[in-house]
Amino acid sequence: MSEAILYHGEPNGPSLSVLAALEESGLAIECRPIDLLKGERHRLPGITESVALDFAVEGEGPVLVIGGEAMTEAVFLAQYLDEQAGGCGLQPSDPYAHWQMMMWCRQVTERLSPAVAWLGAFAHAQAPLAAMDAGEFAALSDAIVSEDLRQRWQDLRDGAGDEAKSEDSRAKIAQFAERAEGQLADGREWLMGSFSIADLETYAWLAPAALLEPAAFGGKPKLAAWMDRVRTRPSVQRALARAQTDDPLRSFAPGPEINRWG
Amino acid sequence: MADVTLYHWEPNANSGKPMLALVEKGVPFQSRYINMLEFDQHRPEYLAINPQGTIPAMTHGDRVLTESTAIMEYVNEAFDGPALMPADAQDRWRIRWWMKFMDQWLGPSFSMIGWSAFVGPKVREKDPAELEAAIGRIPLPERRRAWRKAIYGQFSPEELAESRRRVALGIDMLEAELGKRDYVASDTYSLADINVFNSTYSLPVSQPDLASVEKTPNIMAWLRRVYRRPAVKQTWAMGTTDLAKRYGLVMEELGE
Repeated sequence: MSEAILYHGEPNGPSLSVLAALEESGLAIECRPIDLLKGERHRLPGITESVALDFAVEGEGPVLVIGGEAMTEAVFLAQYLDEQAGGCGLQPSDPYAHWQMMMWCRQVTERLSPAVAWLGAFAHAQAPLAAMDAGEFAALSDAIVSEDLRQRWQDLRDGAGDEAKSEDSRAKIAQFAERAEGQLADGREWLMGSFSIADLETYAWLAPAALLEPAAFGGKPKLAAWMDRVRTRPSVQRALARAQTDDPLRSFAPGPEINRWG
Repeated sequence: MADVTLYHWEPNANSGKPMLALVEKGVPFQSRYINMLEFDQHRPEYLAINPQGTIPAMTHGDRVLTESTAIMEYVNEAFDGPALMPADAQDRWRIRWWMKFMDQWLGPSFSMIGWSAFVGPKVREKDPAELEAAIGRIPLPERRRAWRKAIYGQFSPEELAESRRRVALGIDMLEAELGKRDYVASDTYSLADINVFNSTYSLPVSQPDLASVEKTPNIMAWLRRVYRRPAVKQTWAMGTTDLAKRYGLVMEELGE
């Protein structure tokens, strides 16, 4: 493997799941923290192939650079790390179980993560972004290649809220917490039976969601116990220990867009 | 007979992905045509198979699978036949990246334009009461909202402009990608090609101002390579509407 560097934000959302997956894989890849809310992801050195960084569907997330190619999308990075390690147990080998895991992860990336990122960004990233000096924001904005991502940054700075989207986001978090509790109803230890990327990816978004929408998590003992199991897993503990701030689960930057079809 | 049944519409966009993947793998399957223009996918018979009411869906024995890209990945892993994913982990990552980019960023723009130009006008020829009844049968409220918009052509000028921007940009990105390699995301034909081809096979006739021998030589050369595959020919022969007829038009355009 040519030189590999993982640039990551605070251990929350996509940065948390990828850092934990890296720990699970045991691969020796250098980790470098960056400040996603300062737009540092758009000014990384040594990148010769930037398409996946410029047009990442997940928005601001970790970037794995290998041989000059910027690689993004947390679930696929976790799959990459698992496969590059020769299979570290993060993906089921049975094709149907694999399909189920990927379908679960798609529910996270298409429904849960846009909802959490939307609410989280308004709660924790809007004020610092609004307070940013105009020149600094212009420089940040200019470095963003994707027009729609740049617009999401601008909307956030302007505080362009949308109550319908916020309400929909709260509903999606509540539905997902319900769904996870249901998935764990048979007493299974992990979401797909055996431990997988689905546990890391789901925890990475539900942990900050539980701080944003605590009511959605009340009266769900199986979910609470599972969140505790994931949080105390050594790989997750080591990922959380990479935090640069006291409160990584409140660290946000513009995430995926809300489905354009409504 | 294989115990695989595929519920699909035309060899186009989402339905075409598992159709072509199965044919490429040489997996025999029973074909159940679900006529999207008649809203077959929201009828009780189909909802009994896939309660979400989305097409395509596939059954393999007593397993039910949905979501076109995920079905393709299953088909590739579950059956013998030529590998549709390379071994290299970085290539596999790139293939997944392009498929997500298509499925979530570019594909919805293609379909918004396709709906406003082709499907919407076609379904609006129906009896209004029948259309309302069809919308009422859609199980998920958010899908119902999306279908209502699509059926009545309620896309705003801003939404359509944004979709056109994305299609133009996506075509440029694909042209650049195919300048780096012979196939999308890797040096070999893979699920990424099947995915992207299903949304781009008719570009030279549907978007001639954006895709042509002069403007996008790499895309045209790639289309030619993919069109020549026997599995593609066999799959597009299963089509019944004008969409599938574009196949012949493009072949002419490509000088095949």
